[in-house]
Amino acid sequence: MAEIKEKKKEKEPLRPVIAVGDGAAIPSKEDAGLFTAWRVSFVGAIAIVAYLTISSPDPYWEILKFLPDGILVTFQVTVAAIILALIIGLFTGLGRVSKNRIINGIASLYVEIIRGIPLLVQLFYIYFALGRIVNVPAMASAIIAMAVCYGAYMGEIFRAGIEAVDSGQMEAARSLGMTSSQAMRHVILPQAFKTILPPIGNEFVALLKDSSLVSILAVSDLLRRGREFAAESFNYFETYTMVALVYLIITLLLSKLISIMEDRVGVDK
Amino acid sequence: MSTNKSPVMVEMKNVYKYFGQLRALDNVSLDVLDGEKVVLIGPSGSGKSTLLRSINQLEKIDHGHIIVDGMDISDPETDINKVREEIGMVFQSFNVFPHKTVLENINLAQIIVRKRSKKQASEISRELLNKVGIIDKVNEYPDKLSGGQQQRVAIARALAMKPKIMLFDEPTSALDPEMIGEVLDVMTKLAKEGITMIVVTHEMGFAREVADRVIFMDYGTIIEEGTPEHFFKNPTQERTKIFLNQIL
Repeated sequence: MAEIKEKKKEKEPLRPVIAVGDGAAIPSKEDAGLFTAWRVSFVGAIAIVAYLTISSPDPYWEILKFLPDGILVTFQVTVAAIILALIIGLFTGLGRVSKNRIINGIASLYVEIIRGIPLLVQLFYIYFALGRIVNVPAMASAIIAMAVCYGAYMGEIFRAGIEAVDSGQMEAARSLGMTSSQAMRHVILPQAFKTILPPIGNEFVALLKDSSLVSILAVSDLLRRGREFAAESFNYFETYTMVALVYLIITLLLSKLISIMEDRVGVDK
Repeated sequence: MSTNKSPVMVEMKNVYKYFGQLRALDNVSLDVLDGEKVVLIGPSGSGKSTLLRSINQLEKIDHGHIIVDGMDISDPETDINKVREEIGMVFQSFNVFPHKTVLENINLAQIIVRKRSKKQASEISRELLNKVGIIDKVNEYPDKLSGGQQQRVAIARALAMKPKIMLFDEPTSALDPEMIGEVLDVMTKLAKEGITMIVVTHEMGFAREVADRVIFMDYGTIIEEGTPEHFFKNPTQERTKIFLNQIL
């Protein structure tokens, strides 16, 4: 096995990789500095929230009581969108590695178009475009818009994961008489899964943060609940302080959760 | 050499294969009889691996015909998966499935391609693992196995499909020297059972002992072929002599 790994390296000379995610940094044990940064920000955020709500319950405690409904909506949008995006991403990724030119073309076009348009513009567009054809609730169109956008990025993650599996695996499966879809399902995708888990985790955190954009679409997510409170009480600074802290705590918790999950599945980083 | 009465198992007629400008197979014609053991030798880039891989269409040929067990694989109407069920292949880099245990590796295609039940498949797998001498590793994952053991798993995996032909593409080239013997032993044992074998290898000892026919290739063509005695003692072609001098 060691020999094969060496051979792979020869084929593709090792280049430095700059891996900067756009989510909260997912803490890993080897990275002691980051691990500390995670702790400091997590404990710090909780301490500040606690201090503010206790020292000046009005307005901070009032704000905090007002937000949970929004947190729930934020989670609903995020989870629903990520599930949809994973499904779209799987098919897009398969399309991107397909030898069928038409399927490949459609998948590539989708990825190119979506990646070239800002998420906020897509949200508006899909929201109003959907509104013209069918009457969908705001929440549903927000979820669809997020999923369509993230599906393109997921598609690229799936494509990269599939392509990272050694080509000999496909040859071995095919030489045993499997069809290409059987080989994909039983041999390639299970192996690709391990490689794509960390970037999918990153996308999940990124999607949770981007879900704040749906607050412009009459969806009462965390940010929108904050806006509603601020608009009534005029406590803009206090409200957005709390909103920011709550987002921070959630994303930090989530990245921790994902890193634990990755350890369980045995992802090599 | 097998008797001439044996039916032809693999028939290649005027086969050409190009990689861009490079002519990897240049008008190759070759008949392999049922039960025959053919060893392909030649310098790297001579087309021997391409020839082997074209038999189960891992490489698609550009011209000519390849007929395997009566099925013309160059005909687009032929279901290549059906043909591949009859052809076992062993690779230089083993290509065992790292996410499956040894048993699952051998079971997988039996279950989804041959439609055997899991119990049936496992019985066959265990029997084959016994045969290749690694029954004790049945529940291990491949990364716990040595190269020689992985290659024996790969051989068992191919045999589990009960193929009529076994193709070996430099099966020992990626192995540490001390593991080459254990793989060659398994192959030698297999050869005695009458299955058709086509082997690309640099192991001349194996060729001498097992081959009915040795074929020397260079520049995408068959330069010379014959029984091992003829081949190693009295090669007629100048290029064969040069090659044999280099490696022996």
